[in-house]
Amino acid sequence: MASMPTNPATTAAETDPRLHTGLLVHLSTVSADFLEPTLENLAAAFSNQSVLVAIPELENLGSLKSFQNLRLLPYSPATTSTTSWVLTAADYFNTYKLAQENNASACLLLGTDSHTMAAESIRNLAYATLSGPTDLVVSRYHPGPREGLVNSAILYPVTRALFSARPRYPLAIDLGLSLRMTERMATLAQRYTAANQEDSLLWPISEAAAAGLSIAEAEVPKRDTPQPTPVDLNALLGQILSSFFSDIDSRAVFWQRMRSVLPAREIADAPLAVEHLDVSSMLDSFHLAYSNLHEIWALVLPPHTLLGLKRLSVVSRDSFRMADSLWARIVYDFVLAYRLRTINRSHLLGALTPLYLAWVASHLILIQSGVAAERHIEDVARAFEADKPYLVSRWRWPDRFNP
Amino acid sequence: MWQQVELALSQSAHRALVTLANFLPGVLALLLAILILTAIGALLAALLKRLLTALRFDDRLSRNSLVPLDWAPSNGPTLLVTRIVFWACVILGFLIGISAFDAAYAGNSQMSFFLLPYLTHSVGAILLLIAGTLLSRYLARTVLIEAVNARLQYARFLSVGVKWLVLVLTAATVLDHLEIGGMVVDLAFGILFGGIVLTLALAVGLGSRDIVSRSLEKNVDTEVPPTDPTSYKQPGASETLRHF
Repeated sequence: MASMPTNPATTAAETDPRLHTGLLVHLSTVSADFLEPTLENLAAAFSNQSVLVAIPELENLGSLKSFQNLRLLPYSPATTSTTSWVLTAADYFNTYKLAQENNASACLLLGTDSHTMAAESIRNLAYATLSGPTDLVVSRYHPGPREGLVNSAILYPVTRALFSARPRYPLAIDLGLSLRMTERMATLAQRYTAANQEDSLLWPISEAAAAGLSIAEAEVPKRDTPQPTPVDLNALLGQILSSFFSDIDSRAVFWQRMRSVLPAREIADAPLAVEHLDVSSMLDSFHLAYSNLHEIWALVLPPHTLLGLKRLSVVSRDSFRMADSLWARIVYDFVLAYRLRTINRSHLLGALTPLYLAWVASHLILIQSGVAAERHIEDVARAFEADKPYLVSRWRWPDRFNP
Repeated sequence: MWQQVELALSQSAHRALVTLANFLPGVLALLLAILILTAIGALLAALLKRLLTALRFDDRLSRNSLVPLDWAPSNGPTLLVTRIVFWACVILGFLIGISAFDAAYAGNSQMSFFLLPYLTHSVGAILLLIAGTLLSRYLARTVLIEAVNARLQYARFLSVGVKWLVLVLTAATVLDHLEIGGMVVDLAFGILFGGIVLTLALAVGLGSRDIVSRSLEKNVDTEVPPTDPTSYKQPGASETLRHF
């Protein structure tokens, strides 16, 4: 992961009395093996300050060494989730319960492997949460050009375009939440936990944006991101995008009214060194899908987009480049088809996988040619913003002629 | 002799006309019952739709439900309720019509004996046909998408094979339900079904020969490490990518 400049507020935060004022740190997904290093990290982050740390009941709690500045709060979760690589409805629900019981004024929700974060990053997150009127602080990770690709291809550009929200990681696993934001998330989570859907994903950025709450980012230059246990990309993509598209659907009234376009990010043009990666398997997957799934794509995509894909299917490997506008149009049409149930939803999301792989191949070829990965992702995000009127128009009048 | 032929013909024509005269009221009663109940159903559905729209039924349902309900805009709860009411009336009309048809013969007619089971079985057969067609399309798409995402070159072939398996099974079930064909259908179905399965098995088996041999080689490599470490294959490109 690339190193980034740290928040200048960090040094001041070490002695900032606001940091320990009612802050609850919730390690909802910490494993027994990494509990001690995680607590050591927290102790270093909040040295000389007393912090309440909530951890689920684990077997090795008794054998832990003591940390003077950490007040441990073992608890039995009201609801449990089997997913640990990402925050789920159960995590938000439990956080609010704990915050309420302990009169916390703000919460830090740290995901799995938070021991790999620098203590400084945790402090930054806490500082941003407690200082000022911010309701949601989202971690800004700095993964390599080959990491977090679903986020770069779909989650970030769509969230930015629809909700006018800046955070680069809508599915961040380390969050800072004000009490009212925690309450909102818990209310939302309760709808799922009541239906025994504790593993459901929630989208805090869209929730905060729709409620008019303030959102900020905190730099987390270094962190190992946990990876999901099932490695089937198709199933995972289906699970995440299904939740994401449903969230978009449920907030249509809000994002159709949003007109503001965010200013472009400042990005260093010096690209990171990218070693050569063979993208031929991804291109093969796209070509195979083009010859087999064309009929299914034709139910979802308009003729102009299909023409773009046809052109893409005949270009050589070196000149393979999916235009940002084409990708934006594809994603928007899939969002629409998801809403209209044009075809079965699991089929729809399955048919998106080869197109996503084509985008990944195009992105990798581009960054290997010397373009900075972040620069390309910003261009993609701008293409999504520019094409938002298309989504709004088709959302309102789906039956209108669309060449 | 000519008189006898004439008598036989006139008696036969008389019998046929009597049978037709007995048959027509039953059919008319059946059609009338279906038509009237369909009209009532359409009227009820229209009234219900107006009422539910005025009560903002869709909004209330999604607001008060514990679980977030996601309905397609073209298939909202109101539309679902009205459709259920309409089709319930149509089915009711059909049932009334069948019983009227049955009553018209008073159980002493050969026509009633043969026609009634066919009429009732044909409803089941139509439902089976619709369900089979829908299932075949769903399964064919599922197999196609999964096979493409698994990068199987014969994805389309597999999908078409599955579609025809289900269609053949549906056709055989429908014919069996209508009691048409008897043993011939069973035999033809067995031959066709077995033929499709064998073709698919051969195609998949031959097509995935390379995959199986690679898998076996990999197992052998794991058991006995080769002396030259450079002979190992490089991991695939996707292994170095992190999508999440």
